[in-house]
Amino acid sequence: MSEALVVDGLSAGYGRVEVVREVSLRVAPGEVVALLGSNGAGKSTLLKAICGLVAPWAGTVSIGHEDVTGRPPEHLVRRGVALVPEGRMLFGALTVSDNLALGAYAHRDPTQVRERVLSLFPVLASRLGQRASTLSGGEQQMLAIGRALMSRPQVMLLDEPSLGLAPRVVADIFDVLDELRADGIAVLLVEQDANLALKHADRGYVMRGGRIVMEGSARDLRSNDDVRLAYLGSWHRKERSDADLES
Amino acid sequence: MRRRLNEAIVFVAGVAMLAVPAVVTDRYVLKVLTFVGLNTIVVIGLALLFGYAGQVSLGHAAFFGIGAYTSARLVMSFGLPWVLSVVGAAVVAALAGWAVAVPGLRLRGHYLAMATLGFNEIMSVAFVEARPVTGGNDGLGGVPFPSFGSFELKTPSALFVLVWAVALLVWLAARNIVRSRPGRAMRALHCTEPGALASGVDVAAVKVRVFALSAGLAGLAGALFAHSVGFISPSSFGLDLSVLLVAAVVLGGRESLSGPIVAMAVLTLLQYLGALLPGLPRQAAEAIQDWVPDIVGATLIAVLIARARGGAPVRAKEALGRGAR
Repeated sequence: MSEALVVDGLSAGYGRVEVVREVSLRVAPGEVVALLGSNGAGKSTLLKAICGLVAPWAGTVSIGHEDVTGRPPEHLVRRGVALVPEGRMLFGALTVSDNLALGAYAHRDPTQVRERVLSLFPVLASRLGQRASTLSGGEQQMLAIGRALMSRPQVMLLDEPSLGLAPRVVADIFDVLDELRADGIAVLLVEQDANLALKHADRGYVMRGGRIVMEGSARDLRSNDDVRLAYLGSWHRKERSDADLES
Repeated sequence: MRRRLNEAIVFVAGVAMLAVPAVVTDRYVLKVLTFVGLNTIVVIGLALLFGYAGQVSLGHAAFFGIGAYTSARLVMSFGLPWVLSVVGAAVVAALAGWAVAVPGLRLRGHYLAMATLGFNEIMSVAFVEARPVTGGNDGLGGVPFPSFGSFELKTPSALFVLVWAVALLVWLAARNIVRSRPGRAMRALHCTEPGALASGVDVAAVKVRVFALSAGLAGLAGALFAHSVGFISPSSFGLDLSVLLVAAVVLGGRESLSGPIVAMAVLTLLQYLGALLPGLPRQAAEAIQDWVPDIVGATLIAVLIARARGGAPVRAKEALGRGAR
């Protein structure tokens, strides 16, 4: 099976502190892969190392079959990697329309993909002339994802899309992930809400102390007692999770 | 629509400026208005750098000076034709801007302001101390008038038209930049650098390019200044000019060209008020002249308290979000 994103033995960190240790993972086209782990496990740093915001110390990152290790972000965007950064990092003073246009900065003709984005997030179409900073949190997250899609990515890295959003809005946003799967985009999803992430993902990796300590199908991970105990909340939640699995 | 209207007004005003010498014959007034035109060129460059890309520079007077001395020297010592020397001066100033911007990439905000301020001070000392090149504190006199071949522009009205024609061209070019892809990239990195990076904007390259462009425009204005005035000395390129330029961009507003241009025109004219308003009593004129820095500072503070975005009108459509553009 051809892979969209292959990470092999990647290590990265800040100063002398190694935060990501020899991580290997892969994401296939049209696959949603969740990356789980508690605070400080190295998830965000791993995403940054993949997309060139942090220089990797060792290991390789490949997109398709091309080695792109340590290439700068603007190069990676042109190779089809899109990052939806934690905290969204929208251009708040610019209009929704300008934000989308900037998402397509690396390409010349964004009309078609713009239509696709607006069909995924119809609410944005009614807000094109509005400043991004005046959108609600959920709309901002939609715009952040929309902006990333404008670069026509093969691989999308999503960092904490549910952060600070109401559950109903989160559900809408995660439904879009299922549409992206149909578009053949490989999605690597970092999410605090492991239960939610595994509901929408095909597979998952669990990080601890900068290493991948577990991997498997989303279903296996959800039924794994260790994962539940550590990331899916209390045993009280376990029963709910069991009920979910059976339904 | 409002934006179109705004731009139409600026354009008409710009073209109308070219016709001013047909009406105004007072040599002094023409000279003052020529200074306004020169400052317009510099402030457009700073509006691109600071107002659009969000990179502050307290060193633009230095680039203005570099342009002035370079062009004067190229004509006087190397006998270059005037046009080539002005272009050369703009290029040298742009290279100086590039040299400041590359190490400046590690800095932002207050630290970039400090670094460019330091650069301005260094160049101020250099202009004084590099006597063989700059003439030191005595200045450099006898800078020839602009000329095309044997045709020399030496009347105040000819110099006025030259400077304002260049200013108009610079404004048109700047307007094209801010409306197209590079302008969008500049506004993007002003908003959030990580966001700009995530969208594939080469933040470092955009910063360096806009800094070099901005410094080059200051150098271009400096060269025109040297040849229009004929005499240059370090006092013209001090920190007070740099501060005035930054004040004009702040007053004129973020992401605006016309705002800073108008603000700079007002700030420039304030210093010559006595001569421009014949009815003004001499004492009042002198008082205003003495208090110009204070007036500028107080206005700046008042504007920042009232409207952090500066004086440029916020487009109602964007604030309310009615319909697409």
